[in-house]
Amino acid sequence: MLYRTVGQFKTSYHADHALFPVKQDAWLLGFILLIAFVVLPATANEFVFNALLIPVLVYALAALGLNILTGYAGQLSLGTGAFMGVGAYACYKLVTIFPELNIVVAIALSGFFSAAVGVAFGLPSLRIKGFYLAIATLAAQFFLVWLFEKWAWLYNYNSSGAIQVPNIDMFGLTVAGPNAKAVVQYYFVLCVVCLITWFAINITRGRIGRIWKSVRDMDIAAELVGINLMKAKLSAFAVSSYIVGVAGALFVFLWRGAAEPVLFDIPLSFRVLFIVIIGGMGSILGNYLGAVLIVALPVLISFVPGALGLPVSSAMVEHLNTMIVGATIIGFLILEPHGLARLWAIIREKLVIWPFPH
Amino acid sequence: MKTLMRKSALLPAVFALAAALGASPALAEDAVNVTNLSYRTGPFAATGTPLMNGQRDYMLMLNERDGGVNGVKLVYDECETGYNTEKGAECYEKTKGSSIVTQPWSTGITLQVLPKSNVDKIPILAPGYGFSPMSDGKVFQWAFNPPASYWDGASMILKNISEGNLDSLKGKKIVLLHLDAPYGKEPIPLLQAYAEKYGFTLLPIPVGVKEMQNQSAQWLQIRRERPDFVLMWGWGAMNVGAVTEAAKTKFPMDKFVGIWWSGHDGDMKSVGEAGKGYRSISWSLPHSESSVMQDIKKYVLDAKKAEIGEGEFDWVFYQRGVLISMFTVEGIKAAQAHFNTKVVSAEQLRWGLENLKLDEAALKAIGMDGMIAPFSTACNNHAGHAGGWMLQWDGAKFVKVSDHITADAEMIDPLVQTEAKKYAEANAPWPINEECKM
Amino acid sequence: MDFLNSILVKPFADMAGAPDFLLQVLWEGLVAGVLYALIALGFVLIYKSSRIFNFAQGIMVVFAALTLVGLHEKGVPALLAVPLTLLVMFILAVVIERVVLRPLVNQPDMILFMATIGITLFLVGFGEIIFGGENKVMITEQLYIPTGSIEFEPFGGFVSIEQKDVTAVVGAILLVAGLILFLNRSKMGRAIRALGDDHQAALSVGISLSTIWVLVWFIAGVIALVTGIVWGARAGVSFALEVIAFKALPVLMLGGLESVLGAIVGGLAIGILEKLFEIYWGQPLLGGNTETWFAFVFALIVLLFRPQGLFGERIIERV
Repeated sequence: MLYRTVGQFKTSYHADHALFPVKQDAWLLGFILLIAFVVLPATANEFVFNALLIPVLVYALAALGLNILTGYAGQLSLGTGAFMGVGAYACYKLVTIFPELNIVVAIALSGFFSAAVGVAFGLPSLRIKGFYLAIATLAAQFFLVWLFEKWAWLYNYNSSGAIQVPNIDMFGLTVAGPNAKAVVQYYFVLCVVCLITWFAINITRGRIGRIWKSVRDMDIAAELVGINLMKAKLSAFAVSSYIVGVAGALFVFLWRGAAEPVLFDIPLSFRVLFIVIIGGMGSILGNYLGAVLIVALPVLISFVPGALGLPVSSAMVEHLNTMIVGATIIGFLILEPHGLARLWAIIREKLVIWPFPH
Repeated sequence: MKTLMRKSALLPAVFALAAALGASPALAEDAVNVTNLSYRTGPFAATGTPLMNGQRDYMLMLNERDGGVNGVKLVYDECETGYNTEKGAECYEKTKGSSIVTQPWSTGITLQVLPKSNVDKIPILAPGYGFSPMSDGKVFQWAFNPPASYWDGASMILKNISEGNLDSLKGKKIVLLHLDAPYGKEPIPLLQAYAEKYGFTLLPIPVGVKEMQNQSAQWLQIRRERPDFVLMWGWGAMNVGAVTEAAKTKFPMDKFVGIWWSGHDGDMKSVGEAGKGYRSISWSLPHSESSVMQDIKKYVLDAKKAEIGEGEFDWVFYQRGVLISMFTVEGIKAAQAHFNTKVVSAEQLRWGLENLKLDEAALKAIGMDGMIAPFSTACNNHAGHAGGWMLQWDGAKFVKVSDHITADAEMIDPLVQTEAKKYAEANAPWPINEECKM
Repeated sequence: MDFLNSILVKPFADMAGAPDFLLQVLWEGLVAGVLYALIALGFVLIYKSSRIFNFAQGIMVVFAALTLVGLHEKGVPALLAVPLTLLVMFILAVVIERVVLRPLVNQPDMILFMATIGITLFLVGFGEIIFGGENKVMITEQLYIPTGSIEFEPFGGFVSIEQKDVTAVVGAILLVAGLILFLNRSKMGRAIRALGDDHQAALSVGISLSTIWVLVWFIAGVIALVTGIVWGARAGVSFALEVIAFKALPVLMLGGLESVLGAIVGGLAIGILEKLFEIYWGQPLLGGNTETWFAFVFALIVLLFRPQGLFGERIIERV
């Protein structure tokens, strides 16, 4: 009943194209934002911020970037981790070369570096397709991580080869570095994520988004109806890598505080890919649902034996965790191959017509 | 509608659960929690497990034999990291509320938690690993790497292979075969300083984590370069791979020396006779007949309180794990005496670790004489610089083949100070311990 | 000029200057290439018959090798442990087909690929619980694999060839020969190829999809066991071995996803070229460790000219 759409009339095309043609969707979103902006910060402790909330947001953002490329434009990429690395290293260089630069500007700029690298590695997509392209993006993955390791200029020639985030202030508040408060970092990440999500929703439902979808569904057909494939594919790589790069900068600056090259290696790429698949390809909402499942679930599982008083060693928990994540992925693929976003869509359908079955 | 309501009710509920779980569990009055960020899984599990077992069993033994430390039970927990920095950071967040010490167990994780140590005020104990400049206690007030840093290790190895006369290295070529990670890169700055001063050529050869088991390219390079010595900063499966390849390329084993983490019985066992002659520097000596090891056998292993692998009891790594736990325990003891309290806090433990006095008598009293060289820490010296011995693999076990070797403070100290200063500047504002006048 | 010299002239001068060393490099590259080819072969077989990009091939190698060593540790004689391991791999194939693949028939390639990653994670956790994380020694002597080395002294230098590497190469050749014979001569083998050529046509003449799937996964398991034995004999058996799966991916790109011949040629080419590049260009000029990416970049460049790989089926697109 809450979701009854009856009686909500549209009198113009403009109204019909609104972001929320159904009022309840807007309310629901408002409710979630209220929780995210008010309820969670008021109740969470530092562990929850650092191990659950911030990582979920950062991973969701990275997944959003990948989803634009894979879910909307149909170009499979396994190089997300390396592109996150480009964003992180670019941000580190910007911050250390221009210490007075505002961190928001630095993060926004670092996305452009990653976008440029993304376009360069996206060029083969004009010739190569499907799994061949996926393996080709692995070339970016391995080459870039190797570069992070070898190019000492990137980490300012420090002896350990890792980058450390200095303390960075903005408007009198420390937002990054060891002295930053978790709640400040949470708000920072939340704002960036909301802004980019808003941008992503609008770009994917606009002209460019439709071009991407047509390329995804069949690129030759798209080309025949006059779409410039090169422009479409490269713009997808650029936008996607930009968002992934920003996520990478947030990943290191607002969450981890330090990074070594191996952090951006293939497991990170796979993790983001899992989120996209479990969440749902070609869906914005799915990224968040997927991130909650993939990032938060293992953290919560690791508490279960302790909470129940089971005498299970932490190594065993870790093994079981790996198995559970693997089984969850298989299970979801079998039950709902279109991801959690589709699951929500089904629930919403049911709610709209409730209490009637049809 | 109901579903929606249930859903919305569920969210805060799940979240409250997580909050409750994340909060520090209330400790009983007479217990301290010492959590270890262990790794018994992942590609480095083989080397991690005996160390973790040793750490655990010493704590268990004290609880069984003495009821803990001066009546305070030791709660030994593990948080599994799999040597993964991301998991490590998560474990750090999880345990920092309850544990009075952080043992990060990887140079990567150490670098990750190091900047937070000043804010969270929990001492980091990284025995024989971590960031070498941490030995400067004025800058790194909360970090400890007793009894020796990697730079100590590098210096000790050079001293030994030159038979005490570093000038004899002039014109020689030394290869550093290292894991391509922060850990492996640690000794490079010091070795470079040595190379400049004593006129030898240093050639670092990195081994990527993915290439650990397939080092033929690295060893072909070694064959081509014909170095006089190969030093190794290897870990996990890399050690086995390297020794196997060395045997294959017919590199003389007695010219091949590893750091203390590359001298693992389990690794060498799988190489067997082929590894005969391989040496590894070590700050600990296995001594299964010492009274502490016998007590562990009696109270823990024979009493079936814990299980270890066959033969593991005599391993260098297992007994080194015992020593590592000893540092924490002795730190607790020192803090208990100084602050006249039973249950020490993280801040008090910091004082204790800074004032470790492990002389011959103290080591004898805890039954560890002959297992480690005597050393003490101070507010400017968080490493202790205990020195160590050269161990050699005789085909079945490691045996001591040198007298006690100490590191070369003249070479190391200036570098420690410049690197520590660089770190503090890069992380400004970074608090320096001004009270320390040493 | 110096720069060009160090790229274009010096490496070749080095090769000519120390021919015995060059021979050793080529041999090492060849052995690595044989192993890459073996893993790639596992991928190709499964992809050919079911269009599944089987990411779990790497963990299957580890799993097979650990089962073999684990059984032997439990006191099972080596020659009995091999068939028992094969039985375990068969059971694994049946379980994967039943639990994972059958419900996912007709799903897009991407979904099936993800499912194999799920299988990988599951097997990693499962395997670590059963076998523990330690590095284990492959039972070479018990399997009658010679361990010494053969030495030559050509051009005044020396070349050392490990006998177990020779065994690996010979074993791989026999395996491939057997496989080609099986695929071309036996009824089952023809059914696999038929399925690879045209799914629906194959089904309509009465080829059972599930039987064939179990069969190819089992063959992939056999290949995994052989790979595990020969690779494990070189470097020990542990979960760190899993990463070699990545090594097979550029081989697939180069050789083509569907081509058995491509997997072999691609594997050998990449094994040798990456070793040559690392030794003569990577180490002196780029700081080494180029083997992590060289194969991928090389395959990518080849692919720009032949998008379906050297031996892959020409991609024909219709609207």
